Amino acid sequence: MIEERTEKEILKTSGRLPVFARLLGTVVVIIIVTELIGIHKIPLGPGAVLLLPMLYAVVIGILITPDVLGKPIAALRKLIGKKEIELAGPMVMLTLLPLGTKLGTLIGPKIMKIVEAGPAFFLQELGNLGTIFLALPIALALGLKREAVGATVSICREPTLGVIAEKYGISSPEGTGTLGTFLTGTILGTIFYGILASFSVFTGLHPYALAMACGIGSASMMTASSGALSMAVSPEMKDTVLAYAAISQLLTSVTGMYSVIFIALPLNNFLYNKLIPFFSKKKSGKEVSHV
Amino acid sequence: MFDITRTLYQFKMIVIAAILVLLGQKVGYGFPVMDAIPGIIVFIVVCMLSLIIRDLTPKIPLPAFAWAALIGLIITAPFMPTAPILNPLFKKIHFLGTTTPILAFAGISVGNRIDELKRTGWKLVLVAFAVFTGTFFGSALVAQLVLKIQGLI
Repeated sequence: MIEERTEKEILKTSGRLPVFARLLGTVVVIIIVTELIGIHKIPLGPGAVLLLPMLYAVVIGILITPDVLGKPIAALRKLIGKKEIELAGPMVMLTLLPLGTKLGTLIGPKIMKIVEAGPAFFLQELGNLGTIFLALPIALALGLKREAVGATVSICREPTLGVIAEKYGISSPEGTGTLGTFLTGTILGTIFYGILASFSVFTGLHPYALAMACGIGSASMMTASSGALSMAVSPEMKDTVLAYAAISQLLTSVTGMYSVIFIALPLNNFLYNKLIPFFSKKKSGKEVSHV
Repeated sequence: MFDITRTLYQFKMIVIAAILVLLGQKVGYGFPVMDAIPGIIVFIVVCMLSLIIRDLTPKIPLPAFAWAALIGLIITAPFMPTAPILNPLFKKIHFLGTTTPILAFAGISVGNRIDELKRTGWKLVLVAFAVFTGTFFGSALVAQLVLKIQGLI
């Protein structure tokens, strides 16, 4: 997590042109390949999974890194190494901006419709607490203890990581839990949400309600989920779905951290204390492994 | 903090990001590059403004992404004189075309953490999936209820 070099140093091109050339060249190839593959719909059970180019892009991106295919293939390690990975970080932030602009221009023309739906936007922010009611019992059933509190308090992006690190310390059990959800989200979040959202239309929930749910608190996860959702709904709903998702994302990015501090964390601790006797009793006599 | 050198570095990369968007939407959706040039130039301006505003307002905890969306919203709102001029330009920029470069970089940027995730253990990964599902459907259910009550759906 410790940034060894500043964004300014990483983005400096002079003397580092080969790093830029390797990373940008690779991304150009990824874009061409993934856009040529195009959108595919795979029927699955009652619904269908929508595969978008961005989903292939994140998978290919992960695969070509030194931790995966770079391990056995030395040439790949030369192409995408430490420095290229380091540069990719700020590039995510910068390439998010054209998307942010695009989303803004989808919201603008619909601003009246969005103001009308204002109450739903604000109240569904509380729905993000749904994670606690679903995930905390599951975590406890799996035998986790205090890790469960950190892991299920929110989707654990950087603001939550900061809150938990400050309150419990990052190497505490709570910190371990938060880091687990953070890492899973960082690596698998977009893939998971892309698939979940394309499937979600078959729950019978209205596309606009699902669109609001896409504002999870991570811009790239919102992109993956709302992108998949927008392609799964009828075309005339597409722009509204993207606009709703973007507004909800903006609201979550503003309210998220406060909601963790003042609501989610106290609630999670309260529920943990209520639930833990039940789960400890159930597991009594059995050694419960810690993570 | 605002730093003109860093802003210039960012400018170069925003131009590259814009080119990547044009490339993606040409290959994937057949959007002609030339048609999209005026729109993408406005995009570059908005992106740079969002970075500069973020740098100048360290007390406001908004990411540049939020500023970009906010500026995009304002210049296309129905009551703005800019809307009728800009809206047709922005239609030439495909939403999905802007997403592929982000996730390509995102995939590569997490490359050195895969081993870290493996060490995390399957239980926490499973719990994380429950967290993702819970937050999504929790919000969707509340939104569904409120939109129904308001008679909007």
